[in-house]
Amino acid sequence: MTTFPWQQELNKCVKCGACMAVCPIYRQTGREEMVARGKLNLIERINPEESGYKKSNAQDALPPGWIEAVDNCLLCCSCEENCSKGVKITDIIADARHWQTEKQGLNPIKKSAFSLLKNQVFSLPRFLKAGSFLQWLLWRRLPRHSGLVRRLPLPGFDDKTVIPALPKQHLDDYLKRQQSTMNLKPVLYFPGCATRYLYPQMGLDLIYVLAQLGFQTVMPQELNCCGMVTWGAGDQNSNQELQQRNLEVFRKHSEIKEIVTGCASCGHALKEYDELPEDCKILDISEFLFLHRDKLEELVGAKKLDKKITYHDPCHLRKGQEITSQPRWLLKLIAGENFVEMRHPERCCGAGGTFGLSHKELSREILAEKARDTDDSGAEIIASGCPGCLLQLTEGAVVAESKWQAEHPISLLADLLRKDVR
Amino acid sequence: MTEPVNPIRNQFIEELKTSGFTSKQIIVADESRACYGYDATRQSADPMLVLLPENGPQVETALRLAAKKELKIFPRGAASGMSGGSIPSSDGIIISLTRMKRILEIDQENMIATVEPGVVTGELQEEVSRLGLFYPPDPASLAFSTIGGNVAENAGGPRAVKYGVTADYVMGLEAVLINGETIKCGNKCIKSVSGYDLTSLLVGSEGTLAVITKILLKLLPAPEAVKTSLLAFPSMTAAAHAINNMFKNQIEPSTIEFLDHHSINAVRDGLPFTLPKEADTVLLVEIDGTTPSVLLQSQKLKELFKDDALLLIEAQNESERAQLWTARRRLSPAIANLAPHKINEDIAVPRAAIPDVIARLEKLSEKIALPIVCFGHAGDGNIHVNVMLDKDDPDQARRGHQAIDEIFTITLELGGTLSGEHGIGNTKSAYFDKEWSPTTIAAMKSIKQAFDPDNRLNPGKIFPTQEDLQCQ
Repeated sequence: MTTFPWQQELNKCVKCGACMAVCPIYRQTGREEMVARGKLNLIERINPEESGYKKSNAQDALPPGWIEAVDNCLLCCSCEENCSKGVKITDIIADARHWQTEKQGLNPIKKSAFSLLKNQVFSLPRFLKAGSFLQWLLWRRLPRHSGLVRRLPLPGFDDKTVIPALPKQHLDDYLKRQQSTMNLKPVLYFPGCATRYLYPQMGLDLIYVLAQLGFQTVMPQELNCCGMVTWGAGDQNSNQELQQRNLEVFRKHSEIKEIVTGCASCGHALKEYDELPEDCKILDISEFLFLHRDKLEELVGAKKLDKKITYHDPCHLRKGQEITSQPRWLLKLIAGENFVEMRHPERCCGAGGTFGLSHKELSREILAEKARDTDDSGAEIIASGCPGCLLQLTEGAVVAESKWQAEHPISLLADLLRKDVR
Repeated sequence: MTEPVNPIRNQFIEELKTSGFTSKQIIVADESRACYGYDATRQSADPMLVLLPENGPQVETALRLAAKKELKIFPRGAASGMSGGSIPSSDGIIISLTRMKRILEIDQENMIATVEPGVVTGELQEEVSRLGLFYPPDPASLAFSTIGGNVAENAGGPRAVKYGVTADYVMGLEAVLINGETIKCGNKCIKSVSGYDLTSLLVGSEGTLAVITKILLKLLPAPEAVKTSLLAFPSMTAAAHAINNMFKNQIEPSTIEFLDHHSINAVRDGLPFTLPKEADTVLLVEIDGTTPSVLLQSQKLKELFKDDALLLIEAQNESERAQLWTARRRLSPAIANLAPHKINEDIAVPRAAIPDVIARLEKLSEKIALPIVCFGHAGDGNIHVNVMLDKDDPDQARRGHQAIDEIFTITLELGGTLSGEHGIGNTKSAYFDKEWSPTTIAAMKSIKQAFDPDNRLNPGKIFPTQEDLQCQ
């Protein structure tokens, strides 16, 4: 008998039910199959290695209830954070998705998206740039928020679905013109796809802040997607391929020991890489800034953002990397007394990578609670160090017809520092 | 994996659909049903069908249609129970109440909340606290257990010493009888003595009498302040004496948790404070109320024990409070490291009997050569007794079983009860006749008979089953 690789891990679950307290999907559905305890129970009973659901055995399809349960997970890690037994739940779910793709093949949309993703240097940027011209046919700008909503009925998008405005210039294009010759200490910058191709200004803000602190950011063009989205979709082969390519870049620049990112999901993914070069440190931008807090506090001085601001913990920062205090320190530095905690900052916003697109209704229900808590905080800005969360939160404001804006802390900081220069 | 076609079930499903149940509310698939057959006791049984009603009338419909087919009904909340109260049989129907989770009303004038059974206890507490109100019962699982489950098991928690248990807050109920009709009992009146008190009867009935669909809960004004202290004593007797002294001196803690010396040893390393070597028993004491009253009582506490206690730390802020609680919070995972398995019982004794129980359990531990770790709610006499063992070793398993028997004997001899807060369920039903006489059990059974003549509602719980009797 083949031993099922996760059996020991599954045995650790005592079905206490603590995952029910924090699972965003369970909160909305009240359905046991949708919470970690139920999903693990399903995976324990029906797994390809043990119960005859073999790849070769085509007529023995995975049961629909199994697929639905495994599919309905945001990989937000909330259950893991709350599990007293430390069961590696998200790894098990991702592996379950992997079996499913092995058996049934990857969803064709995801498959083409991932092949674009893997072709970072040529086709992805070109594809997106073509989109930046064509998008105006179908989408229009939002009056109060950054982002676009549809002009005409489109399948899969309602009139409140916010998509990012595709920029004509990517982060790489800006950096080509900004070749720096300054003799500063180099830091490797991993921007992540969202920052690189959708929100280049966020990247420029980070580079600006680091320059003010005396660091030169090095962003090699050969960097690839961190792999998180392929891992979550069960495409482990693509994930491995992307990992290896990034590791190659890290090794090539092995003289730089610190790799900084402003994306919570990328940071989480990179920290999980198996073969990171020795001494190489992956740091979220908030961690990095906290390490250099003396200098930064001096730079900020008495400047304060004069707006009420609150904070949403990105799951991949809080639960994925256990980072909670540094972003709050940063926001207090930026806004002082104007920083207020919202109720349940730890609750997932419902974005979950592509979950918001594939499970619109459920994602919106989760988001509605986040929007209500943001409304109640009275903040004008909700900060969050994750481009995925920011897009989702913007949609939350649009749906709830609220005025607050979603911003990356680094952009708020950059704006504050630029004011100083002026 | 595939089962033979079940014509009765299929017919029942058709009738449910005709009566307004959507296919999303009826769980038939093998794999999905399997997720509604377990609870925190690690037992598991796949029900024949799972229903997710959205409201009281749907529960009525389900029970009415099930009655025609004489099907068994198993109500289920969050299934975080510790006594198997929601475990179904393979020919039973699970009624999962997790989608009935609306807070229907928070009546601030009368300080009463009306809720559906699927409301999570912690979420109700959060909602009422926003209005300056307080729902005190605090079972350890409050972040995920439901009010319905708490009512059915009459759950308690650390605050029971001052605030009592769930039963003390249930003012009224709506519940569906096994034939599908709804009864209403209780009301918003503090004084209410009209007829039999069915509310009290249903609270703690473990889902064997009716399916609760609406609950009226008493609320209190939220306490203004809370002060947490940790005290260490050289013996359990000294600690028990100290607790007695607190009450005599008009100190009324909201919580008195204790750790015995095995528990202390399990968590000692890595505590954010240093415990003296001679510490045999640790008490965690919380005092709440108005700010002046809390200050006064804490002052008294310090004066009272400045000589007797080996250690007395008073938390000065929220983070220090959390630090004092770490000892208690780390306990369950820490003792899990002592042995592969544990048998966990939640006996309760009159408060004054705690030192006797602990001393006798100590002797029992020597006799059966297995560690017995005790901790729990010293204020109300509810002790979590954990026999640590390796169940895969047949001899240890046998000794463990013997230990449980003797634990119950000791408890009952000292005037205690089999369960303080978990309920009897199916894990303690075999011992039920140790606690109650045949006449008492017969009286209870006649009540069950009156509500559920065919024994179709959560059968196999509380009363000893045939299997239990054969084991004895």
